[in-house]
Amino acid sequence: MASESATATDSVSRHRRAFEWLSGSLWTVVLGSLLVIAGGTLVQVSFGSFSTTPIEAWQALFNPDVIFNLQAWRHFVFGAEFPVLGAELPEMNRRSLIVWNIRFPRVLVAILVGMNLAVSGAIFQAVTRNELASPFILGVSSGAGLMILLVLVALSGATLVIPYVVGSVVLDITSLLPIIAALGGIGAFLLVYAIAWKNGTSPVRLVLAGVIVGTVFQSLQTGLFFFASDIGVVQSAIAWTTGSLTGVDWEQVRMALPWTIPVLILSVSSARQLNVLLLGERTASSLGMNVERMRFALSTVAVVAAAAAIAVAGIVGFVGLIVPHMVRNIVGSDYKHLVVGCLFAGPALMVAADVGARLGLMVLAGSSEQVPVGIVTGLLGGPYFLYLMRKQDTMGEI
Amino acid sequence: MPGETPEPDGGVSQTITKPASRENGDSPADGESTDDGHADSETAASEFRGEDLVVGYPSSEQPVIDGASIEVAPGEVTALVGPNGSGKSTLLKGLADQLALDSGVVRLDGTDIHDMETKELARKLGLLSQENVAPDSITVEQLVEHGRYPHRGFFDGLTDADRAEIDRAIELAGVEHLREREVGQLSGGQKQLVWIAMVLAQDTDVLLLDEPTTFLDLHHQLEVMEIVRTLRDDSDMTVVVVLHDIQQAARHADRMVALKDGEIRARGPPEAVITERLLADVFEIDAAVERTPRGPRIEPLHPRHEGDPDKQS
Repeated sequence: MASESATATDSVSRHRRAFEWLSGSLWTVVLGSLLVIAGGTLVQVSFGSFSTTPIEAWQALFNPDVIFNLQAWRHFVFGAEFPVLGAELPEMNRRSLIVWNIRFPRVLVAILVGMNLAVSGAIFQAVTRNELASPFILGVSSGAGLMILLVLVALSGATLVIPYVVGSVVLDITSLLPIIAALGGIGAFLLVYAIAWKNGTSPVRLVLAGVIVGTVFQSLQTGLFFFASDIGVVQSAIAWTTGSLTGVDWEQVRMALPWTIPVLILSVSSARQLNVLLLGERTASSLGMNVERMRFALSTVAVVAAAAAIAVAGIVGFVGLIVPHMVRNIVGSDYKHLVVGCLFAGPALMVAADVGARLGLMVLAGSSEQVPVGIVTGLLGGPYFLYLMRKQDTMGEI
Repeated sequence: MPGETPEPDGGVSQTITKPASRENGDSPADGESTDDGHADSETAASEFRGEDLVVGYPSSEQPVIDGASIEVAPGEVTALVGPNGSGKSTLLKGLADQLALDSGVVRLDGTDIHDMETKELARKLGLLSQENVAPDSITVEQLVEHGRYPHRGFFDGLTDADRAEIDRAIELAGVEHLREREVGQLSGGQKQLVWIAMVLAQDTDVLLLDEPTTFLDLHHQLEVMEIVRTLRDDSDMTVVVVLHDIQQAARHADRMVALKDGEIRARGPPEAVITERLLADVFEIDAAVERTPRGPRIEPLHPRHEGDPDKQS
């Protein structure tokens, strides 16, 4: 019996080691990402057309007059017009104003966008059981892109009259662009699902339907560019369709946060469902999962995440594709670790890319122009896949 | 032709011959039969039957199985055999509610399984498909843990009962030594044992296995069949197993059901089912069948072609 107890302890210690190794690699991702986010934040709040030294910027960021000012937080979180809870921005010095009202919220938006896109991509990779799936694989980006072009080109200047309690509110339709874009994305996703449905769906059918809808919408979108009247509209359309964080502030934080929180909770708590889906439809179904319903529910979570990101930043490519991939390479395919890793690594990539988008041209060409962040993520994403292709023999199925 | 009832749309009233012990060399008396499997209700094993099943794939007009009835004796191992394309896997999928039935009904302890909630069914009926995929980087223990899926709610963690069940399944399948290994590092035979452990962790009364021994080496084939036997003897499980290898079925099953072209051509204990006539008819081979203490032994001789003279058995 001595040998038996020896193997028992052996197995326990092996168990512990495996456990430590797993959480160890996850810790690496989390800590590494936090470092990148902190570094990126420091750079973003320090530099720009109104330059401060990093130390001054940190001081402004950790200015106790702002951090412990309830009125300031009410302004940040609820805005000036929100009934009861909203508030005007309190007096603060110029440096704090720039850091807190312009530069820091941009970092926050980058973090939220990174989280949403990374988690969305991770979910779609499990749903389609394909490592190369992205948040936009089921038509979300093409639907959103088409609506953006429609609004900017065909409907610009149109106003929407919404009857209100007393009188009516007249809204310029372009101010609703974020919501219209997100709704366009969700609409395209539903269309893809409807096309793919034939006594149920399958990953392959879904992806094919995504390609069909994507191709048609992409053509319509490109066609609409011909009707753009001036270069400003074209630039605005390009910024939206490649993804940009230029000019975002607390309003975008307020827009994305209410969607990000449920997405976050749902994605972490459905990690086990995602793991079972990875075993394939037949196994999942014989284990008692209602695969069709679960697939639609999880896709909906992922689409809402992608739509929230699109509403504040436009269509940022590659983040949702490469972040889950990078995290999987480090922590493995277990979604309990993968989702958590994505929630940190996504923001890290997005914050770092936005540093390049905002300050890259200043460093390289001395110009104060900014490029859309989607261009930077694409420039980072391409070479990363080249590296993977060289390193790995097999890519594709998880 | 004892036990052979070539009725394409055979009703439920078909007689099922009583299982005879093969280990003591007794040859079953022809015609010895009872009315129904559930007559001997001293066992707690689940009763499982399909009635007038018509099963097909959505992509094709013709059903693969057109009106087959099968009654699985509780607490016994029933093997489905037949040549490629005979519909044995299709029948199994129909029995497991993995393929929608065009008509007919599958009952588990009297309840139509189609009316059962998916998780409720998965707590009573386990199915292991022929080919299974898992991410390479998950460990054996994590994979087996998924077998507890039907027993857990959306937010439930693993309970002590779940852990005990996982341990039991891992031990039963004999993969204790592989517990912490990553699935991607295992051999085909080891993987199959691990998948069996997963379906055992489901803790079901009825277990359906689709060609669990195909592609395995002899050692692992025997391991798998030994697990099946243990399940029947110790846990009183009702097992339906599709086997490619008819010799294996003859050796290990209590009952056999032989299919061809989606029809059940013969059913009963191996001694009754395995005849030279049946091998010629269903498998289209000339073979010599020899009675041994360990069941009939088949020696395949030639493939048969159309127009070959009927072999006398």
